[in-house]
Amino acid sequence: MKTILTVDKLSKSFGKIKAVNQLSFEVRKGQVFGILGPNGSGKTTTLSMLLDLMSPDNGEFSWFGELPSKESRKRIGSVIESPNFFPYLDAVTNLKIVADIKDKPYDDIPEVLQLSGLYERRFSKFRTYSFGMRQRLAVASALLGKPEVLILDEPTNGLDPQGIAQIREIISLVASRGTTILLASHLLDEVQKICNYVLVLRKGIMLFNGSVKDVLAVSDSIEMAASDMQGLINAVREFPGFLSFTENGGLIQAHFSKEVGTAGINTFLYQRGIFLSHLAEKKRSLEQHFLELLQETP
Amino acid sequence: MIKLLKIEYKKIRTYKVFWILTGLYFVFLAAGILLAEFMINHMVNDINRRMPIPFPHVAIYYFPDVWQNVAFFASIRYVLIFPAIIMIILITNEFTYKTIRQNIINGMSRTEFLISKLIIILLMSVIMALILAAGAFFIGLSHSGFSEVDFFSKGIPFMAGFFISLLCYMVYAFFCGFMLRNTGLSIAIFTLYSLIIEPVIYFFLRAPFMFRNTIYTYLPVNAVIRLTEYPAIPMLKKLMGLNLQDHVSIVACLIPICYAIIMIGIVSWIMKRKDL
Repeated sequence: MKTILTVDKLSKSFGKIKAVNQLSFEVRKGQVFGILGPNGSGKTTTLSMLLDLMSPDNGEFSWFGELPSKESRKRIGSVIESPNFFPYLDAVTNLKIVADIKDKPYDDIPEVLQLSGLYERRFSKFRTYSFGMRQRLAVASALLGKPEVLILDEPTNGLDPQGIAQIREIISLVASRGTTILLASHLLDEVQKICNYVLVLRKGIMLFNGSVKDVLAVSDSIEMAASDMQGLINAVREFPGFLSFTENGGLIQAHFSKEVGTAGINTFLYQRGIFLSHLAEKKRSLEQHFLELLQETP
Repeated sequence: MIKLLKIEYKKIRTYKVFWILTGLYFVFLAAGILLAEFMINHMVNDINRRMPIPFPHVAIYYFPDVWQNVAFFASIRYVLIFPAIIMIILITNEFTYKTIRQNIINGMSRTEFLISKLIIILLMSVIMALILAAGAFFIGLSHSGFSEVDFFSKGIPFMAGFFISLLCYMVYAFFCGFMLRNTGLSIAIFTLYSLIIEPVIYFFLRAPFMFRNTIYTYLPVNAVIRLTEYPAIPMLKKLMGLNLQDHVSIVACLIPICYAIIMIGIVSWIMKRKDL
């Protein structure tokens, strides 16, 4: 698969706060790549750097295997934070400005307006649009000229359920055409529904980077205790598929990327001279797993 | 270039505020120019009532003086502030509506964004100067008729001088809007500086108790509006001992041009580095 975006040790600080810290990842063609993290975890800062709105303090990135330039940005459709349009211009004029900048013809304008359900209101001024319509116009403008990559920053933030469904429908449709999508969200559910690849970010640090199945599809974790806790932790770390663990009240809870079963891990630990005093399988919700991932110290 | 112009034109084509302010500018300008002679002669009448030897009435609409007079009235602070405010609105809108961010995201380079605004300033200055020149020409024609010999001797220099005034003053306004980013604040500070703060500084620099200096000629707004320093009214020479100009000094033009270049330099330096 062709690499679309390579990010290498990207860092950005605002004063003392490290908004993005040594972030490295790759996005490949056709992926629906989610950046998942709570508010303030550095998602928007990362995307802003990738689109030349901010310059990184350190590190670099490349689009389509080239140094980033305005030409690479013309191949990307983006919605960052709020939809930004001239309120006194109608949707068509606003989209024409976007097409002009991207060196794309106006032919796509009716199509993207129809796709976003704004065709009937295309000659209304942007300021008369409702919040949901504004968000849809932003997505429409990002789709102009059939971009190779679509970048969406919290595309459903603040929308009502119907608006959320509309946006997600558009994203799925675009993804099905083979467009690479980079989506930042604080909603686990959204990433899980839309993305096939995910990067979990917390305080600017990458916690996890892998396929959605790997990080979110685990349905259980295993709770253990032993007299030699440190030995137990060290041994568990070597277990194939180990992701992370949390320690709580003399118990450790270990998460694995696949189903392991109590028997398998017991045998594994026994072979390494660890004798368990407690062993239990724990069913967890995805939400809980995400929260755990975020709570762990990196 | 053409592409950037197309984009800028779309931004203002249906923007009512832009057209209303531009319209108001021309209304004020026309009213000022056309009422000037009447108002000056009204003052002359006032003076004559107390004078044993009456002053002659002034005539300011004759070729070639009409060029200088029109340029003078058009570059009065209170009139020139209009195009400046228009420019402040156009640039601060980009920050208010965050469209500057969107333009960059969509694939405009930061330099292109700056150039697109400078093109608008240049174009507005050219068009406004041309309209003014056309106006001056018709006023001159309707008052002088074809019998006058000297049509144009002052035409090109004074209209070019007005063009430079307008261009530089709009660059100042652009600079102010770009630095402050907030429409209301920029307009308030720019107007305050142009109409009150600088005249006060000017007053003190020229006050009798000050050492003799020429610093006042370097005040940025003053440098702009003094390109055509006085109207061509011979009476002023007699009355106040003024040295009336018959051309626009190149050196005087260089002062506002230098300010404008420095401001564009600062803006482009910031534009390349600052997070948007």
